[in-house]
Amino acid sequence: MTERHDDSDPRLLTGAYSLDALSPEEAEAFEREAASSESLRDETDELTLTSTVLGLAVAPVTPSDRMKAELMAKLPLTPQLPRETPLSASETPETSSAEQVPDAPAASIAEPPASSGAAHQRAQSRWFTRPVGILTAVAAAAALFVGGGFVGSAVINANTTTTTIDASASQLAAITAADDVQRKVVDVADGGKATLVWSNDLGRSAVLVDGLSGLPDGKVYEAWYINGDGAIPAGTFTASSDGMTWHVLSGAMKSGDAIGVTVEPAGGSTAPTTTPILVGQSA
Amino acid sequence: MLELVTTDRGTTDIEGAEAVQSFESLLELVAGGDQQAFSELYDRTAPRVLGLVKRVLIDHAQSEEVAQEVFLEIWRTATKFEATRGNAMSWMLTMAHRRAIDRVRSSQAGHDRDERIGLRDIEPDYDQVSETVEIRIEHERVKRAMDKLTALQREAISLAYYGGYSHTEVAGLLSIPVGTVKTRLRDGMIRLRDELGVTS
Repeated sequence: MTERHDDSDPRLLTGAYSLDALSPEEAEAFEREAASSESLRDETDELTLTSTVLGLAVAPVTPSDRMKAELMAKLPLTPQLPRETPLSASETPETSSAEQVPDAPAASIAEPPASSGAAHQRAQSRWFTRPVGILTAVAAAAALFVGGGFVGSAVINANTTTTTIDASASQLAAITAADDVQRKVVDVADGGKATLVWSNDLGRSAVLVDGLSGLPDGKVYEAWYINGDGAIPAGTFTASSDGMTWHVLSGAMKSGDAIGVTVEPAGGSTAPTTTPILVGQSA
Repeated sequence: MLELVTTDRGTTDIEGAEAVQSFESLLELVAGGDQQAFSELYDRTAPRVLGLVKRVLIDHAQSEEVAQEVFLEIWRTATKFEATRGNAMSWMLTMAHRRAIDRVRSSQAGHDRDERIGLRDIEPDYDQVSETVEIRIEHERVKRAMDKLTALQREAISLAYYGGYSHTEVAGLLSIPVGTVKTRLRDGMIRLRDELGVTS
């Protein structure tokens, strides 16, 4: 047992380092020392392993379902570091997200900001019956269409009960954990990005938007499945107050359905009444 | 190699049941982008990770936030885990403890927490009823090893590891020189290592 109190001896710091009791600067300096001394490194490794036994002795705490759902939702948005040596990585369903992103906006149909005139309404009302291929162009056009309603006012989340959140959270977790989960990143009208995730096996999908704007009173977001039969309502939702908004679409998804989101009056509509803020096609 | 008791209810061999994968092999799958493997790894380790983070941070909501960051980092850096020389549980808990410490030192969190708990509550209550036999055994093992330390070593280690205080802060709290704290932490950890039979 050493009783040296020589502050300059790095060996004296192995205990503090293993317990994360050094400042970041001290820890960095210590690691530099350890890099050039095998015996210092060995002692440090052993004491760090010992500290994890202290960690194992702590009583476990059960996390909320919501924590897992949010985490699983974030995985597709979180790239993994490359391996040092390329191994034959197990198959990943989405090798290149870039090629799945819709073509760059080419549309130039700049609509004037919504005046909600009847003619305007009519012009917008049937976008969903157009061939799916041009939906991305519509979405791009919608990017230029930033109505006054989008000005970020207070976020409303009042009419969603905790039970609904938890149920929807476990559905989201089920989709993101499915063996055949696929994803696609699409543009949102206000300039952000949304991620669509779906599983053809489950016939379910979800839309996730980081930082989705809140809507004024009397408006909600509504999701749609769009295919040859038109647009099928797939549930309404509001923006989350804490960053990530997600919505698990109601109803069954068929492979190839497009997924869209519009702004609708509270309670939702049976057919879309505005241009979508985002659209993407599943595969 | 340290013999960490990282089994949980799932690892007991049940006849006819699918063989349960080790945390190391799950991490290997996670490194390949396998979300299903990640989901399983999460289910089996999240209570441990959250338990440790919450031990340091106290506040539940903040602890979930940090635990979530830990798991995202596990996802992100699983490619860097060396299964041949590391213990997966140890790797994850080290990450969890560092993240919790970062949070407690970088924000108001530490201050708020200090107002909610007294120093004397820092040391964990090893006698509380545990959920599983394995954890009870683990508690017993650590408790016995901790009993071999001097009261001063035990106090310094508990303040640092469970309390999240830096060695400088521990020195301030106990009104002793930093050099003395460093010695207590090191001597105490070496004693613990020997009691627990840890070799690398």
